[in-house]
Amino acid sequence: MATDLITSFVLIVRYLILLIFSPYKTMRKISMEKDYYQPAIIIGIIFIYFKFIYYLRDKLYPATLVYILFIINFLLTVAFFYLLSKLFAKNKKEIRFSSFIFTFVYSLFPTLIWFLSTSILYIFLPPPRTFSLMGKGFSIFFIAYSLSLLIWKFILVYLAVRFSSKQNFFRIIFMIIFYLIWFIPYSIFLYQLKLFRIPFI
Amino acid sequence: MNSINFRMKQKMNEVFSVEQNELGIGFITNYFKKITSYLKTAPFIFVIPLAISISLFLYIIFGRLLVKLVTILQYGY
Repeated sequence: MATDLITSFVLIVRYLILLIFSPYKTMRKISMEKDYYQPAIIIGIIFIYFKFIYYLRDKLYPATLVYILFIINFLLTVAFFYLLSKLFAKNKKEIRFSSFIFTFVYSLFPTLIWFLSTSILYIFLPPPRTFSLMGKGFSIFFIAYSLSLLIWKFILVYLAVRFSSKQNFFRIIFMIIFYLIWFIPYSIFLYQLKLFRIPFI
Repeated sequence: MNSINFRMKQKMNEVFSVEQNELGIGFITNYFKKITSYLKTAPFIFVIPLAISISLFLYIIFGRLLVKLVTILQYGY
């Protein structure tokens, strides 16, 4: 068990590095993975993140509750794309739920990196930002950094849907738009409940 | 030899696990393939300069609003 966990952890680090340098080939490989320790470890790391930010936030809700809500959001997202792919697929047998789980879990890395770095920055460079030269410079850097991660996230989500659903470009874009139609109001609802400011997905 | 054949077959199955993207019109498909080829390997070579240019452009257009947006985003974790 311990050896399996270490092996899976090494694989996660390897995949993470490869997702930076060759996202296409790596996501294709990930979509065929069968080692369930990998998503379990990543989901575990995210749990540690939620515990960590609990001490920085207003402590309105317990970290475990917010984490359970993240799991529900994640499963809703995966199930949505899985069911839509089943609807579109010619060969329904080649659509595997596990493939969606693996690819979508790995596509959480840009989110995790952004949230973790923002919360660490919150400690060392707490907001509000000023209109001084340093404040403006940092703002431009922060937007560029966030945009890079957002584009990377979009590439990974697109590839996750592409290799799990085996659909073409137009159908994937249609699925993503269809997803955003219900997910944006849902995120606003979660924001009003003060559960998530920016949805962790 | 058998193992090489097996690995070759596995690799071929992996590569052809999805059908090629066809966008309907020939030249659009060609452009799509050209653009996506840059994003398939080392996308950050293009993503980082693009993100810097967009953020500089946003700063020129919106000025102080961008600084306020960063303040909001910093509370967003």
